[in-house]
Amino acid sequence: MKSFHVLLSITLVCILTLLIAPHIGLSKNTDPAIASHILLQIRIPRVLLAFIIGAGLALCGLVFQAMFHNPLATPFTLGVASGASLGAALAVFFGLSFTFIGLDSTSLLAFIGALTTIIFVYSISRFGGGFSTEVLLLTGIAVSFFFSSLILLTQYLSDITGSFRILRWLMGNLSIIGYNDIWTILPVVSVVTLLVFFFRRDLNLLAAGDDIALSRGVSVKNLRYVLFFSTSICIGAIVALCGPIGFVGMMVPHMCRLLIGNDHRWLIPASCLFGGAFLILCDGIGRLVIAPAEIPVGVITTLLGGPFFLWLLIRSRIHIS
Amino acid sequence: MLQTHHLNVHIAQKKCLDDINLQFNTHDYLCIIGPNGAGKSTLLKSLMGIGPANKGSITISGKPLEKLSQKELARNISYVAQSHNRHLDFTVADFIKMARYPHHDIFSTWTTDDQNAFDSAIFLTNTEAFTDRQIPTLSGGECQRVMIAAALCQQTPLLLLDEPTSFLDPRHQVEVHQLIKNLNQEHEISIIEVTHDINHAVQHSLHILALKEGKVFWKGRSKDFLASSTLSKIYEQEFVILKHPETGQNIALTSERA
Repeated sequence: MKSFHVLLSITLVCILTLLIAPHIGLSKNTDPAIASHILLQIRIPRVLLAFIIGAGLALCGLVFQAMFHNPLATPFTLGVASGASLGAALAVFFGLSFTFIGLDSTSLLAFIGALTTIIFVYSISRFGGGFSTEVLLLTGIAVSFFFSSLILLTQYLSDITGSFRILRWLMGNLSIIGYNDIWTILPVVSVVTLLVFFFRRDLNLLAAGDDIALSRGVSVKNLRYVLFFSTSICIGAIVALCGPIGFVGMMVPHMCRLLIGNDHRWLIPASCLFGGAFLILCDGIGRLVIAPAEIPVGVITTLLGGPFFLWLLIRSRIHIS
Repeated sequence: MLQTHHLNVHIAQKKCLDDINLQFNTHDYLCIIGPNGAGKSTLLKSLMGIGPANKGSITISGKPLEKLSQKELARNISYVAQSHNRHLDFTVADFIKMARYPHHDIFSTWTTDDQNAFDSAIFLTNTEAFTDRQIPTLSGGECQRVMIAAALCQQTPLLLLDEPTSFLDPRHQVEVHQLIKNLNQEHEISIIEVTHDINHAVQHSLHILALKEGKVFWKGRSKDFLASSTLSKIYEQEFVILKHPETGQNIALTSERA
């Protein structure tokens, strides 16, 4: 029952955040028509987008932590984000500008970059000794570093405008106009959330260890494939749209664990809701601190994430000894 | 209920199990003994479908192992591993309840069958007193009982145990031995147990299978084991056999003579 009350509180906080956030920072002496246009076409879409992205990142982070038995695993550990970033950097570098099924060239190339990375990491890990946790993690990290240096190279070779655009993209961005992007990302995140929720019991057992999961009847290998591909595609789509917004996927599941425990039946909805509210909050801070200018949301989350990461490391050290 | 036919297992080109033919009947209690590295745990894991790739066949209730889904297998066999991840962040109750997984699909809810399985598992293993505690706070003996409780909650006709008493003090060893014997005799659960405790195997189990270097070295009724004088050959160590003053059964002690 305790878990139920915690989830209820998180839901309430979340609803409040969704209702209040769009109104913060609206100046009072603008023309009401312009104000309502800003609210409907800019503020509300932005808050909704932040919610969906935050929920998706937190969910994927939760799955990765369970899948790799590693509290420090993040949805970006497998290199999907750096693949997407490289795609975006190349789009800027070559000055591509077109739209295809509602996606601009940068997002499209970023998504292609993400997909390529997924397939690349998957094939290498199969080739290098099966679909095991260690091989996947190490492949992902190696791929991340490799792509990061390619991004740096692309940035170095670009002109000053291109270089700044790449840099800005790497800091994450939630500003959108209208609802098109929301209709693109919402189905992806919702389908993956539903899928993961179906596997809530499997995730509990997987978190307890592969041998326990197998002996209780979980087809661990198939589960890993399904989770790996679905969450990677979700992350690819998110990064393609908003850039790499770091640490949300690592921080939020841990905060939820502290609040609600380790049972994925509760953790999955809690992480999604909390992640959504958390990213709205971070984006709000970014908009307000140096208003009218903005701090990119990725900078805010990473500023919070670094110390959190260290805190977690020290805490788990204490826990182990 | 379980047969292996020419079972061969290689791990990294090394032969770990060599032509194992095993016939295991319902309600039997088999202890697998043998020196370290003889392939005991590998055999147990192969039976559970979690071992490395193998040649030969394993059939469970007449069905080949590879034809069973992992879930079907988990409805037939439960398994208690040799060592446990003690950092499982679950309460004892939640962890034991998770063992009902093979009886559920994604839409099913907790039923009275599930609750009965859980109640009887914690009753038999005497774990009722600490179902609300977190697993990392348990002692070794309590943890082992919780692991057995979880396997029982799975309600399978066959239970595999890998050295269930290796890390326990004598009192808890006796407790777990009695529990296993009770499960086999009163609750008609078939047991296959890997153990280094020869006297326990001789006293409690019905059959013994001795492995050495991946091969079956001896198999037969437990009460004939010590008389067969194979013990010293299995372990390459001299033993003396004496009678237990209370039970009159033969027991083995390692010899002090070089």
